[in-house]
Amino acid sequence: MGQLIAGSLRGQRFGPQNLVLGLAILVLLVLVAYPMLWLILGAFGVPQDLTLDNFQRAFTRAQNYSALANTLQLGFGTGLLSMAFGVSLAWAVARSDMPGRQIIHLLVALSYITPPYLTALAYIILLGPDAGLINRLLRDVFGFSLGPLNIFSMNGVIFVISIHVFAFTYFLTHSALKSIDASLEESAQMLGARRWQTTLRINLPLVAPAITGGVLLSVIDSLALFGPQAIIGMPAQIVFLPTRIYATISSYPPRWGEASALSLVLVAMTVIGLGLQRFFLERRSYVTIGGKGVRSQTIRLGGWRWALLAVCALVVAMSAAAPIGVLTLTAFSKDWIAPLSLSNLTLAHFGTALFSDQVAARGIYNSFRLAAGAAFVAMAVGASIAYLDLRTNLRGRNVLDYLAMLPLGLPGTVMAVGVLLAFIRLPIGVYGTIWILLIAYSARFIPLATRSVSATLRQIDASLEEAGRITGSSWLQSMRRIVVPMARPGLLVAFLLVFIPAFSELSATILLYTGGTETIAIAIYRLNDLGQIEVVCALAVFTIAVVLALSAMVHFLSRDRTAPSEGVG
Amino acid sequence: MAFIDIDGIGKTFGAFQALTDIQLSIEACEFVTFLGPSGCGKTTMLRTIAGFITPDAGTITVEGRVLSQPGAALPPELRQMGMVFQNYAIWPHMSVFENVAFGLRIAHVADAEIKSRVARILEAVGLEGLARRHPGQLSGGQQQRVALARSLVVEPKILLLDEPLSNLDAKLRERMRVELKTLQRRTGITFIYVTHDQAEAMALSDRIVVFNQGRMQQQGSPRDIYEQPANLFVADFMGLVNRVSGEWCGPAQVRIGAHVLDVTSAAAIRIGAVTVAIRPEALLPVTTALEGQNLIEGVVRESVFLGNIVDLCVDIGGVELHVQADRWCTLAAGDPVRLAVEPAECVVMKNE
Repeated sequence: MGQLIAGSLRGQRFGPQNLVLGLAILVLLVLVAYPMLWLILGAFGVPQDLTLDNFQRAFTRAQNYSALANTLQLGFGTGLLSMAFGVSLAWAVARSDMPGRQIIHLLVALSYITPPYLTALAYIILLGPDAGLINRLLRDVFGFSLGPLNIFSMNGVIFVISIHVFAFTYFLTHSALKSIDASLEESAQMLGARRWQTTLRINLPLVAPAITGGVLLSVIDSLALFGPQAIIGMPAQIVFLPTRIYATISSYPPRWGEASALSLVLVAMTVIGLGLQRFFLERRSYVTIGGKGVRSQTIRLGGWRWALLAVCALVVAMSAAAPIGVLTLTAFSKDWIAPLSLSNLTLAHFGTALFSDQVAARGIYNSFRLAAGAAFVAMAVGASIAYLDLRTNLRGRNVLDYLAMLPLGLPGTVMAVGVLLAFIRLPIGVYGTIWILLIAYSARFIPLATRSVSATLRQIDASLEEAGRITGSSWLQSMRRIVVPMARPGLLVAFLLVFIPAFSELSATILLYTGGTETIAIAIYRLNDLGQIEVVCALAVFTIAVVLALSAMVHFLSRDRTAPSEGVG
Repeated sequence: MAFIDIDGIGKTFGAFQALTDIQLSIEACEFVTFLGPSGCGKTTMLRTIAGFITPDAGTITVEGRVLSQPGAALPPELRQMGMVFQNYAIWPHMSVFENVAFGLRIAHVADAEIKSRVARILEAVGLEGLARRHPGQLSGGQQQRVALARSLVVEPKILLLDEPLSNLDAKLRERMRVELKTLQRRTGITFIYVTHDQAEAMALSDRIVVFNQGRMQQQGSPRDIYEQPANLFVADFMGLVNRVSGEWCGPAQVRIGAHVLDVTSAAAIRIGAVTVAIRPEALLPVTTALEGQNLIEGVVRESVFLGNIVDLCVDIGGVELHVQADRWCTLAAGDPVRLAVEPAECVVMKNE
């Protein structure tokens, strides 16, 4: 028998493959598992105590209780509106002969891409009780003495959030409707079913899981949207769970335990929602979402198509055109209260926002470097986890995959509480530096990168890598010369999918920033408090422009993906 | 000691026993084929030889050097083998030239030599003039040749081929079969070939190893395996076969209904119920049997003219036999027939 050359045999523990992937696992554990552990421990009063008092307070203290009730009301309201807007627009665009379907589709995407706190700001300008543009118009025309509309109300919050989150319902319903082959309807028609009978008995049951799934995603997202909840809710003194958590931590002294317990309540709501969503979308889905090569029937509406267009146009006008329009207009106006005229136009606010205002300029710089850093970390970790899951038989790899998906169920506010609790205790001083923001962003958006890289990696057959190995290249060489070059467009998409939401992140940042580490979202938030509306709008326009340009790039790089990144608020 | 020694290899994936106690020796320059249905373990065995799978039991030794042992395996890149994958695994981001040159570049071969060696191997596989093409611009057959060239250019001693012809259309498959055989003869490389197609295995191999459910069923030359199958699975897998139930009634005789057949058998104990396997083309419609042949009388139930042969279904008293007669056979349904068959063609097997 021959000699065994032990050193060169695999099974060695410290090969480059194990080092690279091991490092990724470590980063994932530190970024996601460790803060989550502290969040749970913190809710039980650890390290000072071991108690259930925090949970008791979370449910019994009046402010907490009303925050919980308000959050539920918000979820219910946005769910209803999201269904009404999403389903009708999806049906009109997917199945009718309504004119302008492409434009409506694009504008829905635009309302999703626009950071919701910017929509909220826009609606303060439009529907503020005194100076709101629409209110002034209504008073002029109809002679109201007050209002008549007030955005600073529960309905206001529900409305502003709904026109953002209805995109979930829209996109899921749209692709479900698109993927019903005409033959399914034609079979019903051949058996004597009328148009409306077919719609009711064939189409509706087929797309019902997609509608339910979309509505649940909308609800889950709406619970977590700190921005509009704070910008509109706080002046109206309507508190929701994320804003309540924020207040609990910002109080003096900060009540960490109570914040953790409230966070867990919010997580529980999200997890239940996601569980239901998964149930409806996966176990009861008859239609392959995003299926291709399907022939679909277009329904001729005759004159009614113009009426339908009017309804759809109204929805997207409210959700995209009006808010972005008013932000742009204000950004270029010397005085936003003054009527529109050429003499009122100026570029000065952009100068202030981009260069002279210290906080704003610093915010832009910080947002760029944080988004790039987080995108890189999330992409690297996501790629490693996707690789581990798809290409190795490491025991426990599905646990890692689950861990990498976990932040999807964690609102930004909750992520921030976990990160705070976890890293405030460490001797290395990340708290109060930009690093804690990098940690929170990376952790929050790892799921987006993991999912994206995983989809890319699935398209690269394992044999391509194996062919490299058997031809004499080591694992590292195969990665560098075969897998990475082939995955490059997919990796870039993953990078951008993290960069875009990280660039405008608000809900985690608000708890973690300090003087010097402001981001663009913080600059907007703070300047809004100071009443510098025009500069805020200039920053908002700049943010939307960046986000829009990068989203267009993602779309270009992955043409077959219709829906934008989902699950981030 | 043989060139490649596979000694007691076993592998499980979770609860699934993929390979059990594989014992095999392969000589240098041999063309060995692993044959079996999908999921039989043939590809797992090939990938274990390549080093992609670490065995749970047993060792693989090449030229006296242990490459795999339980829990440890020399990584594929250090084994100096070549492999052709079922889907060819041509790298789409590289030209034909770069695909083929890859192994040489990894081995730091000088540029001038890379050029000449790639040119030579492309010519050898019939791809001269296509070096600058990208894989997307190639047909299936051409991609196949790129995959071959890529693994041959580094001059491996062993080439592993995982169903390399299964994605080609029938005509091209036939042509590539001849080319592969010629290539193997010319280069003297040891080929280990995996397929589920018994015709392909017979046409190519010096030796066939039949796999089923993770176990080696039989190994031998194509003729041995076809004529003397070790069990019913092998008999079935290698082609059409009549499986007739019978009972031992003498030292080399089995009773089938009213007939007693002289048979061959490797069995030591010759009592009880058995199955006799007879290939349809071994049953000859005759007027009189030759000395030593079995003679079975029956009635034609059905007769189908297929061009090169005539397919008969013959009732021999409660048992139906499938017979392939030559195309001059004019028997029709209802005709009485006498079938002659050599005892060597009546292979007795244990019931399963």
